[in-house]
Amino acid sequence: MEFNENQTQTILVAEPKVSIDKPELINGSHALIRSLIEEDVETIFGYPGGAIMPVYDAIYDYQDQINHILVRHEQGAAHAAEGFARMTGKVGVCLVTSGPGATNMVTGIADAIIDSTPMVCVIGQVAAHLLGTDAFQETDVIGITIPITKWNYQITRADEIPEIMAKAFYIAKSGRPGPVLIDITKNAQQELMSKSYSYKKCESLISYRPRLAPKQHQVEAAAKLINEAKRPFLFVGHGVQIANAEQELLAFIEKTDVPAASTLLGLSSVSVDHPNYVGWLGMHGNYGTNVLTNQCDVIIAIGMRFDDRVTGDLTRYAKQAKVVHIEIDPAEIDKIVKADAPVVGDAKKALEMLLPLLKENRHEAWRAEFKKFDVIEYEKITKPELAPTTEKIKMAEVIRKLSDKTKGEAVIVADVGQHQMMTARYYEFKKPNSFITSGGLGTMGFALPAAFGAKVGAPEREVVAMIGDGCFQMTIQELGTIAQSGLPVKIIILNNNFLGMVRQWQQLFHQKRYSFVELQNPDFITIAKGFGIDGHTCGSREELNESLDKMLASDKPYLLEVLVEKEENVFPMVPTGACVADIRLE
Amino acid sequence: MTTYTICVFTENTIGILNKITTILTRRRINIESLTVSETERKGISRFTIVIRHESRDAVEKLVRQIRKVIEVLAVFGYLNNDIVYNEIALFKISTPIGAKPLDIETINKVYKAWVVYWHLTYVIIQKTGTEEEIFEFFDYIKPHEILEFVRSGRVAVSKSPQTLVDYLPEAEWEYYQ
Repeated sequence: MEFNENQTQTILVAEPKVSIDKPELINGSHALIRSLIEEDVETIFGYPGGAIMPVYDAIYDYQDQINHILVRHEQGAAHAAEGFARMTGKVGVCLVTSGPGATNMVTGIADAIIDSTPMVCVIGQVAAHLLGTDAFQETDVIGITIPITKWNYQITRADEIPEIMAKAFYIAKSGRPGPVLIDITKNAQQELMSKSYSYKKCESLISYRPRLAPKQHQVEAAAKLINEAKRPFLFVGHGVQIANAEQELLAFIEKTDVPAASTLLGLSSVSVDHPNYVGWLGMHGNYGTNVLTNQCDVIIAIGMRFDDRVTGDLTRYAKQAKVVHIEIDPAEIDKIVKADAPVVGDAKKALEMLLPLLKENRHEAWRAEFKKFDVIEYEKITKPELAPTTEKIKMAEVIRKLSDKTKGEAVIVADVGQHQMMTARYYEFKKPNSFITSGGLGTMGFALPAAFGAKVGAPEREVVAMIGDGCFQMTIQELGTIAQSGLPVKIIILNNNFLGMVRQWQQLFHQKRYSFVELQNPDFITIAKGFGIDGHTCGSREELNESLDKMLASDKPYLLEVLVEKEENVFPMVPTGACVADIRLE
Repeated sequence: MTTYTICVFTENTIGILNKITTILTRRRINIESLTVSETERKGISRFTIVIRHESRDAVEKLVRQIRKVIEVLAVFGYLNNDIVYNEIALFKISTPIGAKPLDIETINKVYKAWVVYWHLTYVIIQKTGTEEEIFEFFDYIKPHEILEFVRSGRVAVSKSPQTLVDYLPEAEWEYYQ
């Protein structure tokens, strides 16, 4: 590299440390790691391999600044990064190799986009001159991930790295968060940059401009509807937590006195103790919240997208209600439910603008209607599940006991299935940002790595993974990651020897034709012990208290297997295609 | 079924076509025609996508989904009335010795089509116009043997006096000299 006098001077002004004889030129891998450090990345979840080895060589030099966690499978890296991101609000970072490393990430990336989780996945790729030649471990990961990433990009030159990484982080965390995939060819990792490395955070892009502050006229229209409503009903979505809008939401609820229900991913944003909290929505949500959705006059939906599991039959969904839809993603407005007053913007900002326009209001009589349904639900479902007379333990008992013992303040990471719905029903969330689960994609195997990622993100909080016996076997290898880290992640397996939710559907809608849902399970405790994780099995109600205490008291990772009733069903239930008002209690 | 013309302005980088078409594929919307080229501004591409759909609502949702692609600067959905649009077609017509001669005057004056290449045994005729006009000419020329026929995708500009800059005022783009 030669410099003429002019260039040298310019460089000296910009970076005084660079000497004329030895300009500091780093390779792409170092540029990548430095870019991550610039973005305040402290933790990477990754798995090395051929096409990413130059980056792994560079990480070796930065171990004091970046904590790399070696997972056991790339899917584990993706879910751990998701758990970390959901817990901290920061961008989760994954680093994996090309080919199978990349394809193993796909489930996690798809999960992250549908649950709006900020993630940057850096993926190795064969050298640029080998692209398209079917080289060893080459796969078209850009092509594969177009529909499931917020943005993806292939870097083929080291010089591109700082700018593209800055863009990647900006896109992943701004607006509606989502996963970004960066595919870096091996030559770009190895070659020296042609200019000295410098990093500038990305703050805006011409083609991507998420709207934070909503338009004033939209806020005014929304305020008018809310102020005039006789039976307003608030739906709290995941967007509230993403925007850190819990305080503003509370102020909103207190001023307007609206009853507040939560979506699955919105759980914990409003404490169950709050007098206005009326439960959660959807297929296995509460009785009152579902039925009264069809009796309210104004729905105020914040940061949610009217998933089909929330709405049931759309042709009979809240037809009587006007809808205020506060949402950062304009593509969600009118996508499923027509909004009478759309408010496009960040939930926090929107609530801040909305609050001064709202009238103080009282809705005691309307809120009391929810209570009537609660009484019925309690008598028919909740009471028998919490104080059962059956011989076997019921899932609800375990979860409610855990809730009591952790004072409703633990971080609960639920997998997918009956245990997930039971967790959402029976854990009494009292602290914001306490529930992490795979909502949109319904990814079995999510919870174990995600709970680990959450614990990495918030080591001071008690993190408990609630997992079914089916789910557990999908990412069971991540016990190794947890054991190696030594982080005290608590794992509860609710073991009914069935793929419970599928079995429930087969019982209710397929005349009990139990088609491939019964599991012959391994000895989970022996497996955990093989990984170096202590644990025990609880098979009777008398041992349950002691078992949970023992698990919670452990300062190491701990696995508690609870043998629960085999053929339990989750109710209430809005069967697929039914109307929310036709929710079944049995 | 209504015909919609969707104009998408994007950064001119690798893979954008794939990013846009996958949005249509996923929703099972067939592309009737597609044209891509760089615009009067360097680095900005313009996609003209023609689709047929029975629901305006669905097309509006589609437009909003396309807008979500990071590299997309703006998307506009138009009905035929909103735009000036054209296509171009080339016809290779067999002209062996002894065949019925082509009526060049009718081809020029009635159909506004031009012979753009002559060979001993065939000619190539270029016809621009709407899809309907091109097929009218197709029917006219059919009695002569059509060796090859190819039709481009639609290109369209809106009748609105506003331009892309009106929608994205802060963008600083290099104009072609």
